[in-house]
Amino acid sequence: MAVVEPAPSFSLGPEIDQAEAKAGGRGRGRWRNNLGTWIPAGLILFVLVACFLGPTLLSLPSPVGGNILESNQPALSPGHILGTDPNGNDILSRLLNGGRSSLWIAVAVNLIGLAIGGTLGALSGYVGGIADTIIMRLLDVLIAFPSLVLTLAVAQALGPSMTNTIFALAFFSIPAFARVARSAVLRLREMPFMAAAQLSGTTARRMLFKHLAPNIAPQLITFGMLGMGIVIIIEGALSFLGLGIPDPAPSWGNMVATGQLSLSATPMLVVWPSVALLVTVLAFNLLGENLRARWSGR
Amino acid sequence: MTATATTPRVPADSRGPRASRVGRVTGSPVLRLVVKRLLMAIPIMLGVTVLTFWVLSLIPGNAAQQLLGPEATPEDIALLEQQLGLDKPGVVRYLEWLQGAVTGDLGQSIVSRQPVSEILSQRLPVTGEIVLLAFVVSLVLAIPVALLAAHKPDGVMDRISMVVSTLGLSVANYVLALLLVLVFAVTLGWLPAIGFVPLEDGLWPNLRSMILPSAAIGLPLFCFYTRFLRGDLVDQMQQEEYVTTARAKGVGSWSVLIKHAFRNSSFGLITIVGLNLGALIGGTVIIEQIFALPGIGQMLLQAINTRDFVVVQAAVVIFALVAVLANLIVDLLYAVLDPRIRYGSS
Amino acid sequence: MSKRTATYASGDSGVSEGVIDPVSLGKPSRASAAQPGEPLLVVEDLRVQFTRGGRKINAVNGLSYELTPGSMMAIIGESGSGKSVSSRALMGLLPPTAKITGSVRFEGRELIGMPERDMRALRGGDIAMVFQDPARSLNPTMKIGAQITEAVKLHSDLDKKGAHARAVELLKLVRLPAAERRFHEYPHQLSGGMRQRVMIAIALAGEPRLLIADEATTALDVTTQAQIMELLVELQQRLGMAVIMISHDLGLAASYAQDVVVMYAGRAVEHAPTGTLFANVRMPYTHALLGAIPALDREPHSLFEVTPGQPPDLSALPKGCPFRPRCPNATDKCLDDPPLTEHEPEHWWACWHPVGSGLGNDPGPRAGTGPLDPAVAADDPGLADGPDEAAGPGRHHTPNGEQR
Ligand SMILES: Nc1ncnc2c1ncn2[C@@H]1O[C@H](COP(=O)(O)OP(=O)(O)OP(=O)(O)O)[C@@H](O)[C@H]1O
Ligand code: SF4
Ligand SMILES: [Mg+2]
Repeated sequence: MAVVEPAPSFSLGPEIDQAEAKAGGRGRGRWRNNLGTWIPAGLILFVLVACFLGPTLLSLPSPVGGNILESNQPALSPGHILGTDPNGNDILSRLLNGGRSSLWIAVAVNLIGLAIGGTLGALSGYVGGIADTIIMRLLDVLIAFPSLVLTLAVAQALGPSMTNTIFALAFFSIPAFARVARSAVLRLREMPFMAAAQLSGTTARRMLFKHLAPNIAPQLITFGMLGMGIVIIIEGALSFLGLGIPDPAPSWGNMVATGQLSLSATPMLVVWPSVALLVTVLAFNLLGENLRARWSGR
Repeated sequence: MTATATTPRVPADSRGPRASRVGRVTGSPVLRLVVKRLLMAIPIMLGVTVLTFWVLSLIPGNAAQQLLGPEATPEDIALLEQQLGLDKPGVVRYLEWLQGAVTGDLGQSIVSRQPVSEILSQRLPVTGEIVLLAFVVSLVLAIPVALLAAHKPDGVMDRISMVVSTLGLSVANYVLALLLVLVFAVTLGWLPAIGFVPLEDGLWPNLRSMILPSAAIGLPLFCFYTRFLRGDLVDQMQQEEYVTTARAKGVGSWSVLIKHAFRNSSFGLITIVGLNLGALIGGTVIIEQIFALPGIGQMLLQAINTRDFVVVQAAVVIFALVAVLANLIVDLLYAVLDPRIRYGSS
Repeated sequence: MSKRTATYASGDSGVSEGVIDPVSLGKPSRASAAQPGEPLLVVEDLRVQFTRGGRKINAVNGLSYELTPGSMMAIIGESGSGKSVSSRALMGLLPPTAKITGSVRFEGRELIGMPERDMRALRGGDIAMVFQDPARSLNPTMKIGAQITEAVKLHSDLDKKGAHARAVELLKLVRLPAAERRFHEYPHQLSGGMRQRVMIAIALAGEPRLLIADEATTALDVTTQAQIMELLVELQQRLGMAVIMISHDLGLAASYAQDVVVMYAGRAVEHAPTGTLFANVRMPYTHALLGAIPALDREPHSLFEVTPGQPPDLSALPKGCPFRPRCPNATDKCLDDPPLTEHEPEHWWACWHPVGSGLGNDPGPRAGTGPLDPAVAADDPGLADGPDEAAGPGRHHTPNGEQR
C-alpha cells in the first residue's frame, strides 16, 4: 500500500489535525500498539450503546416534560441516578438523549463531507488544470470564512433544528474533506504505480475506483475520526448559543448553556455534559491519531 | 528491493537540495512574494464578503422589523426599510457597501446609527487583548515545555506533556471556560466570573478580568503548540542528518536540540501559528459571550440577532482579514528568516 | 601522559599505557595513549541490536578489526551489512533503541559504555565523521562559517576571532574556492562537492586522529568523487590521521585504501591489505563481489552488481556462517560459525572452505561465465593483471606506498 503522509489541515480544526499529524509522526511506537486502538474504540462503542440503547435499556424517563415539582433533585435520588434539572427532567436521560443528537449530527456531517468533499477533492486533484484551480479557490473562500460566523448565520437563517445544524456544519466538512482528498490524490499521482496503471491504459473510472479510492480511503477515514470530535464540539457551541438543537430537546451544548445559569448553585448540571463531551471527543481523537499512525505505515 | 549489492549512484545534482522543503517559494524575492499574496487575498476577501451578503439575505426578517417590533404595521416597516435603504436589491446594496469598504468606510450600524469604525475602535481592543494574551502566553509556555519533552522522548516530561496536551486538545473551549469559572471564580473566588474592566481602570483589574477568558482560549492553544513543536523536534532529532553531524562534532544534547533542531522546527511552528490565528479569533465569539466581554464576537452575535447586517459584514471582514494577514505575515517571516528563501535556492 | 600540542604533528609520541586522563579530555592539547606500532582502533566482537516493532534486528554481529594509526582502511559490503551502524556505534551516535555490546578501544580507551560527557569530547575531537549526503548533513539554517566555528570552539580554547580565523583556515585546507566569501553563505548556496568539503572541514576542526568517511563520495558525481577522495588522501598524509572509508565501490577501495575489511551480515568476513586481498581472494562472498564486476567495464570506480541470492534477514540469521544460503562452497561444516582467523600473514578470513582450497563443493578455478566465475575477474586487466597494481601507485594514483 502506498505510504501516505499525514493530511494537511483546515480551518475547522487545524489544532487537532496538525498536532496529531506531528505527534503521530515517525519514530514512536507508543500509540501504535493494539491497546491504543481498542481502548478508544471501546470507549466510542460504549458511548454509542449508552446513547442509543441506554434510555430504553434503563427505561429512563423522558428527557423533556418533567414534573416541575421534582426539580433539582440531587444525584442518586430514587428514579434519577444523576438527579434532575431545574425543570424536573432526569439528567441522565437528557445526557444520553442529548448525546444521541450530537452523535447523529457528527456522523451525518462527516458522511456528507466524505461523500461530497472527498469526491470533489479527489476529482479536483485527479483532473487538475483549470477545474482544480476553480474548485480550490472556491473552497479557499469557504475556509477563509470565519467558521463559527458561517454556521451562526446559516443556523439563524434556517432556524435552529437538527437538520439545519447538519446543513450548516456541512459547510466546513466539505471543504475540509476536499482538501484532504486532494492532497492525498496529488501525492498518489506521483507514485510509480499510478503512472504504470495509466500507461497500461487503465480507464479513468477504474483508475478512480480501483487505484485512487482505496489508497485515499484510510486518510479520509482517519480524518473523519478527528472530524467527529470537531463536529461534536462545534455542534455543542451552536447549541450553547441557542442556534443548534432547540430547547427543550436536550443536547450537550444546550445542557451546558442552561447549566451555566446556575453554575454556583448546581455545578453538576455543567459538569455532566462537559464530561460527556470531553470523553467522547477524546476517544475520537485518540482513535483518529492511532489509525493515522497505523495507516501511515510506520 | 531487487538489487542486492547495488546502490544506485545518483549524481548529487539530480537530487536537488531537498526539493520539497525548499520548494515553498523558490527563488522569489520577498517583494514579489508580498504582491503575489496580496493579489491572492483579493478574490478571497471578495468571495467572503459576497458569501456573507448572500447568507445574510437568506435570514428571514430584517432590521426594520426587528427595530419596530412585532406590533408594527407593514406600512411602518416599509417606510423604515426605505429610510434604511433596505428596499434596494441585494446586489445594489452589496456594491454600495463594497464601494464604501474599499475606501475604508464600513458604513454605519443600521440599528444604532453609530459608524461601524467607531464601534470597531471600541470592540477591537478587547478582542485583541484576549487573543494576544492567550497567544503570547501559550507560545511562551509551549516552547520550553516542548523542548523538555523532546529532550527525552518517552521520558517523564514527555509523557506528562502528552497526556495534558491530548486532554487539552479534546476539551471544547466553552466547557473549559465554565470549568475555569467554576474553580477559580465560584469555588475559590480568586477571579471575577464575568465582566470586563477597561485598561483605564488600572492594569491589574483589567488583567484580572482577562485571565479566565484568555486561559480558556490559551490552554488548548498551549497544548496544540506544545504537541506540534514536540513532534517536529523529535522528528528533526531522529531523522535529520544535520543533527547527527552536530552530535558528531561533539555538540551537547541540549545544544543540538536548541541551537540546531529548534532553529529548524521554528519554521514549522511559525506556519502553524499563522494558520491558527484565523481560527483563534473566530473562537473568541463564544468566550466573549460566556464572560460578557464587549468584543467583536459579542458584537457579532448581537448584530446577527438584530439583523444589523452592516455590522455583521464588518465583523466578517475583520475575521477574514486577520486570517489573510496572518498568512501573509507567516510568509514574510519565512522570507526574512529562512535563508533558503531569502537567498533563493540554487 | 604526554600532552599533544594543537598541531597535526606526530600522533605516536605517547608513552603511557592507555590510562585515561579525564582532565585532558576535550582540551586542545590531548593525550595520546597509543604506543608506537600499536593499533589506533581495536574493534572486538562488536554487536548492535535494534528492537523495532517487537522484532530484534541484529545489525552488527561480532564485528572485529584493527586499524593502524595514520592508515586508510576501506570497509566494503552490500547495503545493510552494517557498515554505517558499526561506525556510528563506535562514536556513540546510535539512537537509544540500539543495544551495543562488545569492545571498541581507541588508543587503549574503551569507547563502549563510556560516559556521554567523555564521549562528547571524543566526538569531533579524536574521532570525526563525514556522512554520505552533503545536502542533508549540514544545518540548512546556519551559515557554513558558523557551523565550522561551532566545531572549532568545542575542541579548542580559541576566542571568537581565533575560531573564525581557524575556520577560514580549515576551509582553505579543504580547498574550498573563495573561502572567505563562502564563510558567510548557507549550505544551499553551495554545490554538492563544496558542501562535502565543508563537511570535511568541520570534521577536521577537532584535529582528529581518526576520520570516518561513511560513503562520503557516493552522492557525488564521478569527477567530484575523485577530487574529494584525493583531498581525503592528501589530508590523511599531511595530518597523519587514520581514515576509515566506507564504500560500496570496490574500485574506489582498491584505488585508495591500504587495507580492506569486507563486511557481511554485520561481521567482518575478510580482512587484508588491499594488494593481498585482490590477488588472493579467499572468502566466497568477497569472491562473488569481485566476480560481479562486469567484465567490459574498465571504469576504475565500479559499483558491484547483484550477487546471487538475497541478503540475509538480520532478524533471523541462519545458523553458522551467514553466507551459507548463498554460498556455492557451503557444506554441513558451515553450520558451525567460522571464526575470523589470520590464516595467512595479515590476511584474515572467516570461512571453512575458502576459494581455491578445493574443499567443500569448491571445484577450484572454473571455466565458463557467471557472476561467481573467477575468469570474469581475470578478464579485467584492472584486477587480474595485477590486483597489486590496482592498489599500487601506478594505476590509480594511490599515494599510500610511502605510508607503510
Ligand atoms: N535505527 C535503526 N533501527 C532499526 N534498524 C536499523 C536502524 N538503523 C539501521 N538499522 C538496520 O541495520 C542494518 C544495517 O544498516 P547499515 O546502515 O549499517 O547498513 P550499511 O551497510 O551502511 O548499508 P548502506 O550501504 O545501505 O549504507 C539495516 O538492515 C538497517 O535496516
Ligand atoms: S564455505 Fe561455508 S563458511 Fe565459507 S562462506 Fe561458504 S558457507 Fe560460509
Ligand atoms: Mg550506510
